[in-house]
Amino acid sequence: MNTVLRLMICILFSWITNVNCQSKMVSIEGGSYIPLYGRDSMKVTIADFYMDVYPVTNKEFQQFLDDTPKWRRSNVKRLFADDNYLMSWSSDTALSENQSLKAPVTNVSWFVANDYCECQGKRLPTVDEWEYVAMANEELPDARTIKGYNEYILSWYEKPKTFNNEIGSTFKNYWGVYDLHGLVWEWTLDFNSVLVSGESRKDVDNDSNLFCGSAAIGATDLMNYAAFMRYAIRGSVKAKYTMKNLGFRCVKDNNQ
Amino acid sequence: MNFSKYVLFLFVACMSFASCNTKKTNKDQVAYHCPMECEGDKTYESEGSCPVCKMDLVLLENKPILANTDEISEESIFNLTSKWNTEEGKTIELKDLKGKPLVMVMIYTTCKAACPRLVADMRNISKQIPENNTDDLQYVLISIDPETDTPKRLKAFAIENQMDGEQWTFLQGSMSGVREFANVLAVKYKQISPIDFSHSNIISVFNAAGELVHQQEGLGVDNKETVQEIKNLLK
Amino acid sequence: MRNLKSIFHRASIALMGTLLIASCSESVPEAKALKDASTIAIKGTMKAELTAPPFVPAPVGDRPAKKLIVNMEILEEVGTMTDGVEYVYWTFGGSVPGSFIRTRVGDEVEFTLSNHPDNKLPHNIDLHAVTGPGGGATSSFVAPGHEKTFSFKTLNPGLYVYHCATAPVGMHIANGMYGLILVEPEGGLPKVDKEYYIMQGDFYTKGEYGESGLQPFDMQKAVDEDADYVVFNGKVGALTGDNAITANVGETVRLYVGNGGPNLTSSFHVIGEIFDNVHIEGGSIINKDVQTTSIPAGGAAIVDFKVDVPGTFILVDHAIFRAFNKGALGMLKVNGEEDKKLYSGVMQEGIYNPEGGAIQSMPNDETEKAVATNKTLAQKIESGKQLYTNTCFACHQANGEGIASAFPPLAKSDYLNADVNRAIDIVLHGKTGEITVNGVKYNSVMTKQTLSDSEVADVLTYVYNSWGNNKTNISTSTVTQRRSAH
Repeated sequence: MNTVLRLMICILFSWITNVNCQSKMVSIEGGSYIPLYGRDSMKVTIADFYMDVYPVTNKEFQQFLDDTPKWRRSNVKRLFADDNYLMSWSSDTALSENQSLKAPVTNVSWFVANDYCECQGKRLPTVDEWEYVAMANEELPDARTIKGYNEYILSWYEKPKTFNNEIGSTFKNYWGVYDLHGLVWEWTLDFNSVLVSGESRKDVDNDSNLFCGSAAIGATDLMNYAAFMRYAIRGSVKAKYTMKNLGFRCVKDNNQ
Repeated sequence: MNFSKYVLFLFVACMSFASCNTKKTNKDQVAYHCPMECEGDKTYESEGSCPVCKMDLVLLENKPILANTDEISEESIFNLTSKWNTEEGKTIELKDLKGKPLVMVMIYTTCKAACPRLVADMRNISKQIPENNTDDLQYVLISIDPETDTPKRLKAFAIENQMDGEQWTFLQGSMSGVREFANVLAVKYKQISPIDFSHSNIISVFNAAGELVHQQEGLGVDNKETVQEIKNLLK
Repeated sequence: MRNLKSIFHRASIALMGTLLIASCSESVPEAKALKDASTIAIKGTMKAELTAPPFVPAPVGDRPAKKLIVNMEILEEVGTMTDGVEYVYWTFGGSVPGSFIRTRVGDEVEFTLSNHPDNKLPHNIDLHAVTGPGGGATSSFVAPGHEKTFSFKTLNPGLYVYHCATAPVGMHIANGMYGLILVEPEGGLPKVDKEYYIMQGDFYTKGEYGESGLQPFDMQKAVDEDADYVVFNGKVGALTGDNAITANVGETVRLYVGNGGPNLTSSFHVIGEIFDNVHIEGGSIINKDVQTTSIPAGGAAIVDFKVDVPGTFILVDHAIFRAFNKGALGMLKVNGEEDKKLYSGVMQEGIYNPEGGAIQSMPNDETEKAVATNKTLAQKIESGKQLYTNTCFACHQANGEGIASAFPPLAKSDYLNADVNRAIDIVLHGKTGEITVNGVKYNSVMTKQTLSDSEVADVLTYVYNSWGNNKTNISTSTVTQRRSAH
């Protein structure tokens, strides 16, 4: 009932302004590119899709919890989130004083992120989709060879505690998407397709026999170490993990 | 719906969740013991040091509960509500497998390199379980390629690999169901061509309540520990 | 594992040989030490004392081997490289180098690595003292806000480097993720008066040496091995002035010196002292009366010397520009009575006019390495080898040795060589049930392989022409005949 009411209001308002019930999306034109971990310059092809302009905020997530009691901290099943789930919140549905409503929600597991997007009729982006949009800087859809682009990403690794910065505080990229770099890590749908083991030196020695189809992980560009770290973080997490520096955003297929 | 009812409804809703706001309400009595077990199974009610080796006492882990109740714990895989098709064409949820220890592995039938070894590992494990326990546990092989591995195909694979007995179950899920299940097992996989996947080689053992008790990672590794864990569950 | 052990065993015997020739060494590594180390029983448990540099935990003395609990926390934090220059260090235990771990042979170390929740990156640890995959790297790969525990037994005495091995490995090391773990022999190292922990590292920053502000890491410079800072214990001046290490005249000083790299080799030297004993490369051979000892990146050395006269002794990397221009300089301050007989100080001054000079030149030897040539195999065997690697390798193994009690061997296989047609049939249609190969029974399942006739011919030809089999060459038409025969 409550939800229906909410949706009604939402639909009414969304014509006029972007209220918080459905975050703003932009359309991403598909294409193909060679990701960091490709098989011998194997291109991946991305279909057209829509992506959230910003990561999901504390405020949006708070509303989600209002409607979805099973994901509140005291109800969540341990199978689906570890002990750090929403650890900074003061209660089941309230933020603590030092958390900004406009900061990205963090300390959320893959399961809850997945469910959040599905509840909105969306889904999490795949690794390939996320990386595709994240190649862009302000002017170019693929800025991976631009020095300044990499330096921006790397400077973030050296900035402490950016998880409480507000969304939109980084640059607007070629597609009109903010905060892919410089705010928090983000969950991807198939993060567990990254077969980076803890032994990174083993991962690059073409030890292909451990994998069906001999897909050894070889970086197409070893210098692209900014991206390396994203893959390393994906390889190090499990779906129930929650981290201070890890949030998410949703995407939607473009079925036209 | 009139307004006062609505308010009342909200109030009740809030109340019902407020009551479970404390973490882990049904926590058992805590007990501390010496990590070296100098005094055998002796436990203490508070922190301190072992009188024998002077080590700090540590919190005793609670043993997982066994499945003779309808309750499932927070850690149980039976919390997953995804739907699966068996090789016999039946549609089930994971909780339909409740009541027997489970030995699970994720494979796909068109795989040439690692999966035959994983299947052989499963067979070797099953060979080491006493005959009279055959019906007391369930071996489950879940396909990571649900598009190719239809129930019919899984059935053929089962027959080909002599795994067509009652104790063997093959499952085809939805793409998202498989991804979610892999995440519960911490199995990684990636489609690298229309018919090939890279994937972790992990065999997982669950107790009858669906709680993970053991994982064996690798190909053709010594499965002594895995077999022992299964035998412990059958006791 | 057993293979590894026998290699070590052989190595230690070889070492014995060397020693007999060298015969100037006091501590003889026992060839049996390693074999015995794995069987040393542990008595009791203790929490390891961890220290930040330049200090080390108390010696093990004659304590028995124990279960040793090590808890290490990873912190990513801003620190000072030199006055006015800040750098984001990634650290084991909040210091560069990371906490010193002190163990003895036979200890069972239970190691917990915790990654602080405020950290951004996953990390792990590779301890060179560990005999196991990745030195523990695989088992300790941990995301921020989580921890991993693994355990290992110390088998070889020596001083070992540990470091982070998460991609990009070089960057993690370049940011300070290294330290030392000491494994003392049974009964401990000989007693000394003072012990210190020193580790050299090279750093690469966007700005040049001394350029102020928070300096980011520069990957290109790191790849080019063009270091801006070469320092002891993570920063310029970590061992100078008030931070200098100290001793008193007459005392014996032992330095545990490591080199985290990532790139440069250290030419470790103490100006005005001679090392009485050097455990070369942190191992068991002791060299005596050494002026400068070489410590490779990812290596270590134990040096000890008696200080006989007071004064300030300078510790340097004797690649001397690093010492005076990049920060590789530390101090040992020795207090006490002067002894003019040992060192006089200045006795007289005068004028000196040289008669001329000579230019010396150094001989320059360059040896060229022979280039190995690749053998070419017949095309059929070459393609068969590819197929074998993709299809058969997992069960029958790289050299056709199979897997005991699971998959029969293909190398020197009587079953295979006896009947070519049977072998073709098995590849085409699979095989179940009991067979006997080289006198051993196997009862497993091989499913039919989805290969084309020419592929079957190639792969079998490869198998028959490898590992001592009968060199049969199988044609595609033979396979086609067998296929239609059923």
